[in-house]
Amino acid sequence: MADNANELNKCIQCGTCSASCFSGRVTALNTRKILMEHIAKKRSLGEFDTVWFCVTCYACQERCPRGIPLTDILISARNELVKEKGLPGRLKNAFKSLQENSALVPAKNEHIALRKELGLELYHSQFVDSARNEVGEIVRKYVGGIIK
Amino acid sequence: MKFFPGCMIHNRFPGIERSLFFVFEKLGVEIFPLKGSSCCPAPSISKSVSVELWKEIGIRNVRLAKNETIMTACNGCYTSLHEISQIFNEGDIRHVVEYLHSEIGIERIKKSVEKRLPVRLAVHYGCHFFRPSKHKGFESPERPKMLDELVNAIGAESIDYKYKFMCCGGGGGVRAGATEVSHDLLERKMDAIAEKDVDAIVVMCPLCLNQFDVGQSELNELRGKDYRIPAVHYVQLLAVAMGMDVSLTGIERHSVIEQNFIEKLVRGES
Ligand code: SF4
Ligand code: SF4
Repeated sequence: MADNANELNKCIQCGTCSASCFSGRVTALNTRKILMEHIAKKRSLGEFDTVWFCVTCYACQERCPRGIPLTDILISARNELVKEKGLPGRLKNAFKSLQENSALVPAKNEHIALRKELGLELYHSQFVDSARNEVGEIVRKYVGGIIK
Repeated sequence: MKFFPGCMIHNRFPGIERSLFFVFEKLGVEIFPLKGSSCCPAPSISKSVSVELWKEIGIRNVRLAKNETIMTACNGCYTSLHEISQIFNEGDIRHVVEYLHSEIGIERIKKSVEKRLPVRLAVHYGCHFFRPSKHKGFESPERPKMLDELVNAIGAESIDYKYKFMCCGGGGGVRAGATEVSHDLLERKMDAIAEKDVDAIVVMCPLCLNQFDVGQSELNELRGKDYRIPAVHYVQLLAVAMGMDVSLTGIERHSVIEQNFIEKLVRGES
């Protein structure tokens, strides 16, 4: 976080980041405000749930004239928020699936049937016991506590 | 060379995989499935939760290929594996669209087409293919042309539209974490596409495909927006243009299906 604050000190308040944000046009996500208020001033994100409205399109980061890695900083801010408040509900389910199936998006019967119909093998780790367990272990190690 | 399917292709849109294998066989490039590979894992959402988890699962996938090139057809898989291979300085990761464009080349693609496809298409690149550009180093991240050129090479026409380079709303965990926001973004994008007379939307990422396809059906159900504009992955079209049967592309198993579009693909240019 200290590095992030240093990066953000380079900001010249030009507003390009917020102006580039497609998500900001339809939501209360205000890229510049989140970054300046809550990261540079080291305030907790607290109830600042709009950070989850960022689609991580990298438009702001790409265009920032000061070369500040804005999207990367927002993503690391989420990391802090997850530590504080846990994962939002459906994301928790996604990571549970990553632990159980080694897939954020697991196959259901209809998808298995379609693969067969197209003459394709089932070789994603979801279908290979040893591989699935290996990945499940990695998930447990890092986020087992958060998704319980 | 190994094909890395990721969850979205292996578990949702296997027609993309079938098409890709057909295309590579036609081009005489050997490619095999990367067996036992897992979720890449998806870049933004995984990093939002644990960077260490993202790296460890990712490098496991990279190492499975034992230094053979890994081919992806998903912007998310491409981004995760590419960034991770740079961090560890191991592995060679490609995305099929940039591979076709730079290694095979437009001229050879044109020559390998058996059936030109007379369709008008809205091209959507997706965010993570070019951005953040510091890792990727392709042509302009603001106005890429690669996919438009590949579309034209198979006899189809790329039609410009407002918000062409904007996000589909499918990324960053927003579809799962804030579904309404994801729908709002998709609606903007779809409204802009619907202003133009196109047969379909063409993407290069199964996550974008899912958003344009399944998300579009949701917009219809929830908001009465009945656009009826099918979405396809570029390799599905390329496979048809190279002579594969349309039924093998899985296009007819997507959520949004238009008979008129399918017929144009079956018939080709008359
Ligand atoms: S990366 Fe996030 S904050 Fe930046 S422009 Fe895209 S949606 Fe907005
Ligand atoms: S684009 Fe960069 S310099 Fe401009 S306001 Fe945003 S963070 Fe500051």
